Amino acid sequence: MDWQLLGLAFVTVFVSELGDKSQLAAIAISGGSKSPRAVFLGASAALLLASFLGVIVGEGTAHFLPAKAVKIMAAVGFMIISIRLLLPKSDDDSEEATP
Amino acid sequence: MVERLLLSSTPSTLNLPALDVAHTPSLLEVQSDSTVVSESTISTESTLGVADETGATSDRTSDTRCITEEQPGCPPWRVVTSTFITIFLAEIGDKTQVSTLLMSAEFHKPWTVFLGAGAALVATTLLGVWLGQWLSTRLSPRTLDVAAGILLALISASLIWDVLQM
Repeated sequence: MDWQLLGLAFVTVFVSELGDKSQLAAIAISGGSKSPRAVFLGASAALLLASFLGVIVGEGTAHFLPAKAVKIMAAVGFMIISIRLLLPKSDDDSEEATP
Repeated sequence: MVERLLLSSTPSTLNLPALDVAHTPSLLEVQSDSTVVSESTISTESTLGVADETGATSDRTSDTRCITEEQPGCPPWRVVTSTFITIFLAEIGDKTQVSTLLMSAEFHKPWTVFLGAGAALVATTLLGVWLGQWLSTRLSPRTLDVAAGILLALISASLIWDVLQM
């Protein structure tokens, strides 16, 4: 095990990720949610998969995903969650009513 | 670890019969540990179906959103999947992914890079979730929802800005 490289990867990613949008999203989603473990699981799995893909791409065995389209989809996803948080709760969302 | 996390998040989401809940006091304890006391009481009681007619249920409890909320009838994987999809899409092509890509290409030790980067990402996520939960004990649910909504809207706008700069 190359501990120096391990440390380099950890420190680089940790510093660049502090206060970055995925951490802010984790703060926002978990703050509005009662299931922090579910948010942690989902966010961790997403980040691990994204960095795994980065590693695979770096090794030259895969190609870039269409970053533009993917970012637009992410923007739409965050916007939907944002609108749901901002809208008053009593008058909408009745289509999902499964109490 | 993953199974334990999943297990400990189930009592409030699945509509467990009262007997099951009564037999797992430690799980309930873990759950109420990390949420607002009043809220967790309300959600636990409404899960058991005893508090709905007491008038103590807030608009938060009668709310039926599943994307960011864990409600009776909202399975926990809804929160996991919606969080997973949005954060995964947002992270593709982000600077973190590019830096792991470059390190892995330069040193040809992809698993070491992945281990280091993965540990860092889990650590920052843990910090983020912990901070969010801490904030939720300090602020009212409505204030928190508005702040979280504005924050996510800003993240969404910055993603669109990234696309326009490409």
